[in-house]
Amino acid sequence: MQKTGVTGVVAGMSMLLAAPAQASIFDDVGFTIGGFIRPEFSYSTSSDDNPANQLGNYYNERSVPRQAYAPPALLPAILDNLGLPPLLGGEVGTWTTLALPTLLAADANSPGLRGVNNATGGGTPMKRVDNDINYAIIRSEVELGVRFTPNLNLVARLRGIYDPKQYDEFDARRYRDVQGGISGGDQVLYGGKPNYFEYRVEGDDSPNPLEWAGDDYLIYFPTLVLEYNNGPLTARLGNQQIAWGQALFFRVFDVVDGLDLRRHSVLDYAQEEYSDKRVPALGARLGYQLNEELLVDGYVQKFQPTIYGNPNTQYNVIPAQFTVHDRYVEGGWDDKLSYGMRVKGNYGQWGFQAMAVQRYNPDGVFRWTQSGHNKDLPTNLGSLGGLVHTTLALQGLDSGALLAQSAFEASPGGVYSAQEWFKYAGFARLNAMSGLNSSITEFPATADLFATPVNTVEEAYNELNTFFIAAGGSLRGHIAREYAQEEVFGLGASYVTEGEPGSLLDQLIINFEVSYTPDRTFTNTSLSRNYIQEDSVTTALVLEKYHRFSQAFPATYLVFQHMYRSVDDLFGRHLSGYGGTVNKAADGVDGAHYFAFAFQQPFPQDIYRIGFATLYDPRGSILVQPGIKWKPRGAFTVEAFYSYIDGSLGGANPNDTLLSTVDYADEVTVRLTYQF
Amino acid sequence: MRVIRYDREYSRRQFLGGLVRGAATAGVLMPLWDAVAKDGDVTRAYPEELLSIENWSKGKLKAGDEISAANVELVKDLLEPIKYHQVAKMGRRLRIAPTTTDIFRLSPWEYLEASLKNRGQAQFDAQGNIVTAQGKPWIGGNPFPDARTGLELFASLTLSWGRHDASMYAIKEYDVGLSGEIDFRYELGWAELSPVARVSLEPRPYWTGKEDKLRYQSVFFVKPDAVNGTSYLNIWPYDQNRFPELYGYLPEFKRIRQFPTDQRFEPLIPGSTLYLSDAWAAGDPLHTWGNYKIVGRGPLLAGVSGGWSPAHPNWEHRTHGGPKGLSFWDTTVELVPEAIVVEAEPVKFPRAPVSKKRVWFDARTGLPVGMVTYDRRGEPYHSFDAAFALYEAGGKSVMDGKHPYWSWSHVHAFNIQTGHMTRLEQVREIAGGHRSSANDPGLYERYLTNAALMRLGRA
Repeated sequence: MQKTGVTGVVAGMSMLLAAPAQASIFDDVGFTIGGFIRPEFSYSTSSDDNPANQLGNYYNERSVPRQAYAPPALLPAILDNLGLPPLLGGEVGTWTTLALPTLLAADANSPGLRGVNNATGGGTPMKRVDNDINYAIIRSEVELGVRFTPNLNLVARLRGIYDPKQYDEFDARRYRDVQGGISGGDQVLYGGKPNYFEYRVEGDDSPNPLEWAGDDYLIYFPTLVLEYNNGPLTARLGNQQIAWGQALFFRVFDVVDGLDLRRHSVLDYAQEEYSDKRVPALGARLGYQLNEELLVDGYVQKFQPTIYGNPNTQYNVIPAQFTVHDRYVEGGWDDKLSYGMRVKGNYGQWGFQAMAVQRYNPDGVFRWTQSGHNKDLPTNLGSLGGLVHTTLALQGLDSGALLAQSAFEASPGGVYSAQEWFKYAGFARLNAMSGLNSSITEFPATADLFATPVNTVEEAYNELNTFFIAAGGSLRGHIAREYAQEEVFGLGASYVTEGEPGSLLDQLIINFEVSYTPDRTFTNTSLSRNYIQEDSVTTALVLEKYHRFSQAFPATYLVFQHMYRSVDDLFGRHLSGYGGTVNKAADGVDGAHYFAFAFQQPFPQDIYRIGFATLYDPRGSILVQPGIKWKPRGAFTVEAFYSYIDGSLGGANPNDTLLSTVDYADEVTVRLTYQF
Repeated sequence: MRVIRYDREYSRRQFLGGLVRGAATAGVLMPLWDAVAKDGDVTRAYPEELLSIENWSKGKLKAGDEISAANVELVKDLLEPIKYHQVAKMGRRLRIAPTTTDIFRLSPWEYLEASLKNRGQAQFDAQGNIVTAQGKPWIGGNPFPDARTGLELFASLTLSWGRHDASMYAIKEYDVGLSGEIDFRYELGWAELSPVARVSLEPRPYWTGKEDKLRYQSVFFVKPDAVNGTSYLNIWPYDQNRFPELYGYLPEFKRIRQFPTDQRFEPLIPGSTLYLSDAWAAGDPLHTWGNYKIVGRGPLLAGVSGGWSPAHPNWEHRTHGGPKGLSFWDTTVELVPEAIVVEAEPVKFPRAPVSKKRVWFDARTGLPVGMVTYDRRGEPYHSFDAAFALYEAGGKSVMDGKHPYWSWSHVHAFNIQTGHMTRLEQVREIAGGHRSSANDPGLYERYLTNAALMRLGRA
């Protein structure tokens, strides 16, 4: 690190005066600069890749039987085409009544094989990869501090990340000739190789202020603030991150900022506690020390959403069969403000805090939306797609135009079979049945495509397979991301016990936090536009202890935490979406409990520090993360940690547990830091 | 040849006599603080051989000379054992200055004035806290300037560390490894403020409404990047049987969190050999240690003056010794006529790595000039030696109100068992523009509240 500065003679703030004195207006101006560069690698120790990505899909290289059925609405349409009166009132039979014979459509009984067009037989089956390297980036951060006066400072922290893309990547261009390629959605995100860093929304390809990104690099200012302090008042103006609450990792009071999950998702060293994850926002923060005990802290900031990994990036969580239309700008949320206030008091062994926040939930909510993509079903003679297309044409309708008004796009890389639909609905904590029905009932054009709501799993299977075959292989689903306003209220108390010196019950810090959000808006598990609105309660109980087990070693830091969430899981997914399987729609669960235990053991002089963290979900999943940090010299730090995740302990349904979503991410992460 | 009226044997017998009695006031020829009360000078209290290294060494050494391995045997009796070892074996050198007899050059002016004014008024209450005759918190200055016991010496030191009502120290820390290279460098700020016993800041002697507090103290790191923003705030109750409240801001957590207060033997940062407990050789509440007893008296060579480095614009010091010339500060020492050695044991730290500490106090001022801690086996563990200065030298000065600034200037903290050295120096300014200052009422808001922690923490 180096420091340059204008060394003055008189310190305005100081009572120490050098003699003789020569004052100048620049006397108090000073600059500091420092930072680090750090390669980070994560080596996969599992045999799976991210199933949310095209190349990690459970069904790649698997031929799944499919049989098309006669849509209940088809026969009346045919009769109508022939100028004959309908036999009955609207529909004939159900989706289980009549399997379409191959006589009518040669591919009516064709297996689903991801990457292959059943109408033409063209395409290449998508392979299932297992990347050895889950994550490899080079990160550098530089912080500049400018002190204008003793009361006025500028802090600018610039973070730059480069990803050399050492992965076996999906490339949508390989499927250009299959079903016309993945042609819907933002082509920068969906039309080629993964884009690792750009956050793009409908109508704006760079909605984050002070951020510059490309497919393999990211540069932004996590902090760029002007700070003014005068007595008990501190004001910060600019791009900044705000963290509240005593609970670590479990976010109860920590509601101000969304998370940036583009890089290593939530899989960094758990004990770092989102240190580089909170999304910075332009805003103003005021802190006022009312008296020695009470601190008031308030903010108002431009609303910035949580940033999810882009499709097919290593830790993406939204299944790549979806095309997302983020309406952050289109819906006007980029002009919205979030604001809140917290009061924090310390009275000896006791501490209290209370907060009230009005915000837009940064995680957002999702719903089916029109694909807006006019691409016909396959027109090949003898194929089911061709049959439907011709039938529609006889009615004066166009399959592409109708699909554009539905939530679907007939393209590769979507869902190829009903099995896949059910599997991934469960994976995404959605309801496979109601999800299908809402995609039909909320889009009138689907009726012209002979889609009708279903009542049983068998009907759903048949209808889904019929449409996937008719599409030529797969359908991609289009969903919109929107944001809902909410008020969050929180209360917290902490108490430090006093016991026999050195005993386990001496200096135990007990902290309890609870937040309440009336009418919180959640993604409907059917992806309906009628979002779920429900009161939400979140609590965290934290027990922290620094305990010396021996005279030779510094104290061990131990922390035990319990979290309860009344209606959603740790990732914000509504619990009614839990429990789906390949044969069953989600039936939901009531309430979620999580337990965390962590410790850190520094060695003498803190040259080595070992750590351990575990997160246990009693429904059947666990994260175990041991790690070590070594500081051989001031400029160098070596860190390594291993993340082991089991998403279905004891054979639990993975879609009943929290961590199955990242079950693939068993990995060893190594970081080498050089600071300057 | 000048005839010395009282030789070394006379002084030694006097010191031994005081030691055998268990309690004695400082001074050989007369009670030291009676002499100080007359004209602020200690000369009358000590024979000539204790006021000049030349007299003490019978002409073999004089002010301006350098002590090195070549001549250290001459002064072996005047050095703490670890400092002797460092000179004899590790290349440490000490420059000798004349003995300071003007007490007003050895502590802040206002503190000494109050010590004289309030002399004799201090006592311990039933809880063992220093109070006035009226049972109120202390009113300023050294409560026991002519301390007779080890407890009194430690009580005075714990009551006021820096001897200013408020201090901010801009500090640079260097951690030197076995190879002699600097493995870790840090820049940090240390702020302390007394709400009681105030002699400069208004209101005084008490900050109204805060009479139940002894001290606000924070330490925060600004360099390097990995620790930038790490900060801790201690709020000490006046009751010395209780631990301070401790709040901390760790950059990775991005918020203030409460910490347990009895963990005072933990490394604050990687590479450092310092604990919170080591601060001013009295970093813990008085009665969390016990069995205070005087175990030695006698002259000592210590850096009680001349530690300021005015030649460097940021007051930075030069180094020497060790494998790379980086292990020791260039240090000026002088003959301290009487040092009192006090031992104490931790009584409220069941698993502390230390079993006892031995502190060398300058009897004239009650300042700690050296300390050795011992591990649980009774082996020497860490050693500390501090240097102080009136910031007035070479035609330059730094003023603290009407008088030159007085403070500590540099510290050695040495792990005897591993050979690691931590060097600290007080500098004018560290990164972020934080400057050393004294008696600035703004220090409280700037460094010693939860809001200040939030601000000092990296944005």
